[in-house]
Amino acid sequence: MTQERFISLVRAEQEPLRRFLLALCGGDAALADDIAQDALVRAYVASGSFLGLSKFSTWLFRIAYNCYIDHCRKVRPDQTSLEDAVALPASETSDASFRYQQLYQALERIPEKEKAAIALFYFEDKSIKEISAILNMPQGTVKYQLSMGRNHLKQYIQL
Amino acid sequence: MKEIEEFLRENKPVVKDDPTFILEAQRRMEAVEGIKAEVDRQRCYGRLALIITLMVGLFLGVVATAIAYLYPLDANTVGQGILDSIRQFLTTWKQHLLLPVALLAIALSLVLMSGKRSRSTF
Repeated sequence: MTQERFISLVRAEQEPLRRFLLALCGGDAALADDIAQDALVRAYVASGSFLGLSKFSTWLFRIAYNCYIDHCRKVRPDQTSLEDAVALPASETSDASFRYQQLYQALERIPEKEKAAIALFYFEDKSIKEISAILNMPQGTVKYQLSMGRNHLKQYIQL
Repeated sequence: MKEIEEFLRENKPVVKDDPTFILEAQRRMEAVEGIKAEVDRQRCYGRLALIITLMVGLFLGVVATAIAYLYPLDANTVGQGILDSIRQFLTTWKQHLLLPVALLAIALSLVLMSGKRSRSTF
């Protein structure tokens, strides 16, 4: 795959990819973009192995998710806190801002797999089959993670 | 459960438009290309060095064989002569040789230790 072709494919996928990672990183846009850049480099290096058997976006999201998991393994759990989950500007005290804050804080409290399944299903409108390929788990497990994720989020989000 | 699903669908995280994102990705890809080219170049040099070494080895082997055929020597006489000269050299210089050998052993152990330390940092 040429660099131009790769860039054109990435251009189309950059927004969903960054949004997915933003949800995983609890609203930390800088961290999400850093992981996205790492994922793009990894994807570019491995682009020769992309045979087109799955969608490019599925393949890219899988690499991004693996990068995120690698990042989580590197960062010690005590280095992050729920207060750091949202870095919204102080001026954004609107209702929407509050909802995002609530959402990110709730997402930070649920397990990684549930968070990823929720983000892919509700924010990226991916099918169960695609999520199964991205997260490398059976479709039944994806449904279970979604169900558990919804139940957990219900406890943390005031509607 | 419907409420939470609606909440999630209505509150998708918003990504700020960042034109530098793709430019940064392109810059990193250029860097990857640079590294790839350098690795290829080094691999090519390595292959070339290997071929040159093989050719030189072959040439020297041919020359040595030719000399051996052209100027045959009595192996026993030559071998005995060399062994005698080595024995004489060691007997004469054994006290002076001890120091360089010890220094060489220390230097070698230091090099090996530093090599291990530098590998462990990556």
